[in-house]
Amino acid sequence: MTRLTLDNTAIVVDSTCDPPPGYFDRPGLAMVPLKVNFGDESYRDGVDLSPPEFFAKLASSPVLPTTSQPTVGEFTSVYAALRRDYEHVLAFHLSSAMSGTYEASRRAAEAFPTVEVYDTRTVSATITLLVERVRIRLAAGIPSDELHDFIAHFLAHNHMLFQVPTLEYLRRGGRIGRAQSMVGDVFGIRPLITVVDGELGAYAKVRGERRALEAMAGFLREHSQADDAVVLATWSSDADDKLPALEEALLAARPRSEVVQHGRVGAVVGTHGGQGMFAFAMIVE
Amino acid sequence: MSVRGHTLEVLAGAVAALEVERDYVNDLNVYPVPDGDTGTNLLLTVQAVLDEVRAAPADDLAGLMSVVIRGSLMGARGNSGVILSQIVRGACESIAAAQAFNAAVVRDALRGASEAAYRAVRQPVEGTMLSVIRAMAEAVADTPDTISLPALVTTVTTAGAEAVERTVDQLEALRRAGVVDAGGYGLLILLRGAVAGFLKAETGSASAAPVTADGSDRRRGRATRHIAGIPPDALEDSRFRYCTSFLLLGDDLDRTDLERFVNGQGDCALVVGGEGLLKIHVHTDHPGAVLSYASAHGTIDDVEVADMREQTRARRRRLSLDQRVACVAVAAGEGNKALFHELGCEAVIDGGQSMNPSAAQLVAAVESLDAAEVVVLPNNGNVVLTAEQAAAMCDRRVAVVASTSLPAGLAAMVAFDADGDAAGVAAAMNETLDHVRSAEITHAVRDSEIDGVAVREGEIIGLVDGHLTASGDDLRAVFGEVVRTLGSQGAELITILTALNGCGLTVADLQDAAAAACATDCPLVEFLFQEGGQPLYPILIGAE
Repeated sequence: MTRLTLDNTAIVVDSTCDPPPGYFDRPGLAMVPLKVNFGDESYRDGVDLSPPEFFAKLASSPVLPTTSQPTVGEFTSVYAALRRDYEHVLAFHLSSAMSGTYEASRRAAEAFPTVEVYDTRTVSATITLLVERVRIRLAAGIPSDELHDFIAHFLAHNHMLFQVPTLEYLRRGGRIGRAQSMVGDVFGIRPLITVVDGELGAYAKVRGERRALEAMAGFLREHSQADDAVVLATWSSDADDKLPALEEALLAARPRSEVVQHGRVGAVVGTHGGQGMFAFAMIVE
Repeated sequence: MSVRGHTLEVLAGAVAALEVERDYVNDLNVYPVPDGDTGTNLLLTVQAVLDEVRAAPADDLAGLMSVVIRGSLMGARGNSGVILSQIVRGACESIAAAQAFNAAVVRDALRGASEAAYRAVRQPVEGTMLSVIRAMAEAVADTPDTISLPALVTTVTTAGAEAVERTVDQLEALRRAGVVDAGGYGLLILLRGAVAGFLKAETGSASAAPVTADGSDRRRGRATRHIAGIPPDALEDSRFRYCTSFLLLGDDLDRTDLERFVNGQGDCALVVGGEGLLKIHVHTDHPGAVLSYASAHGTIDDVEVADMREQTRARRRRLSLDQRVACVAVAAGEGNKALFHELGCEAVIDGGQSMNPSAAQLVAAVESLDAAEVVVLPNNGNVVLTAEQAAAMCDRRVAVVASTSLPAGLAAMVAFDADGDAAGVAAAMNETLDHVRSAEITHAVRDSEIDGVAVREGEIIGLVDGHLTASGDDLRAVFGEVVRTLGSQGAELITILTALNGCGLTVADLQDAAAAACATDCPLVEFLFQEGGQPLYPILIGAE
């Protein structure tokens, strides 16, 4: 049975996994950027444009940005390069219901028999959380089939929930999925959005900051047992000041849990979510 | 329980079941004319029987059965109602002769019912109520007298359900529309309700759950599959325009002669009854000619002439509506009205304290929408009843949310969901009302005493859930006291709808006042200020 380790297994993601700064700069990790376009100017997400730079630009730009996916060729060169040093490559991409990125990566991988491409059916830092949990196992060394079981478990059982001050960006970018008819932006409503079957879906409409935090903690309770040690990640676009209160509410709801990661919304997810978004992802391992 | 008690429960059970299914049966109705009233006709016919029995003193079996027979004949509405009256007649004549009530009596009653129904219709058509009653009768025709009543009932209802399912293939009009026969389905529902009523009479408790639950599940499954698929314009209008029915009373009524005449005037002719009382039903272009011929032979009564072309149009309109829920709200103040719109309310009509809208205005607002189902938010205690009346008058499913204030209505609106069904959405919205308290700040219109406190005309008063909580000359102080009261009693989020014109205060003043009022007792309360613009009340408050 093949044993997978950090030395023989590389991980590829796209830039919609919204990692903590510098996360993918380490050996054995590669992040392929999507692109953000402000009018004629095109930037590689997370390469030419850091998250703070992006949100500053979003606030000042007269035109709204658009996004585009990586090409097959961009994935091909990344796979070709990694294959020189690693026997195995795992690639994790945002939901194919939201972007063609997975499809481009999959087509590139057809030329490389040991590159495995996953459609995670989710988006944003939930994917980096998956990468982190996989790397912990690779660091210890893990039989190939056990790692595959773990990835399948994660993909089937992770949940994420985010709060946005406005649904405007999601609606305009056509990424609102099943939350289409949701009303936000008025009367102090804080839309809580989750991911269902690879698409965004409405979880709840709650009014008031405290009640919204309580509802987010309620989501954690709904998807875990009282004594579960839930693995959590929290992140925001440009609203990190919201995270301490969120984490406090989450840890109060499930005291044995731990927040293991703080991502950052990048330019592509930020284009579709807008400012003020904050989120958490959870997995009961 | 007595024979009378049993009879009443059986009829009440049938009425209750038909009430639940009426709209659905109406929507199914495409044959013989797609006029969308079969459910209503069956319900009103059975309701008439129930009323008749309630009013009659009879308490013996034979006496009660003759009241039922007469009640169904007199109360029969529409084609399906008249055929039902003959089914009832056949069954009751058989039961009246019974010595005890058992399975064999039911078996024989079904045979009597089936035969009477076929006798009433000159050219019986299969795929209708007739096929369903016959299938039910035949399913148990050969059972021995010793069969248990529950076993017999199960066999009958199963056979009835299968017969209903078959109707879709028996009649071209049904096959094209993709629906089962409305009358046949209604008859099955009626029978199930009657059985539930009988069980209730036997056990003294309302253990009717299995019967009704089954019925409504079928309704749900069908409602999505068949109704959504009915092409509303693929149906042909009746050849004749007016559904005409009336009672004819007289000593020597020549039934055969009347039947011959009526048949010559249109189609779907039914002349039933006897012993000095006939019920006559026909679809015709000349209701006047039929009435005038009949009136030469006896006295006419309970004349009903319905324009089936208009009914067909109404049904078509109903079925071409969007399968979603829309909302109608009653509100005053530009800001509040805009807020209802932004929260997804499609029609907002003016109204509120001392300016209640009429039921007709509400009906017009509902019918201006292209949604199949509608929830109505009255937002005032005085409008709730009007909204209930309007709901009953509309040609689509309407549910009323019992919101008695604007802040409560807005809170309920947050739970609105266009993708549900009106009843479910209204239930979710009503649920939020349990967690909302309403307060209002206004000027006393005269010297008076409220909750034991004397107030002067023009004085500012703050009412929480209708009770005087603060009063005085300073709006800011009264507001602060109301907010502190709500906050210290557990409110997490306080919504303030303002109309401060002429008050000499700004929203910023109120924000300061609210923060100061809650600083000690309830510092975690959140506030949301909205420009409401309502008349009479400078401040309306909702607390959740």
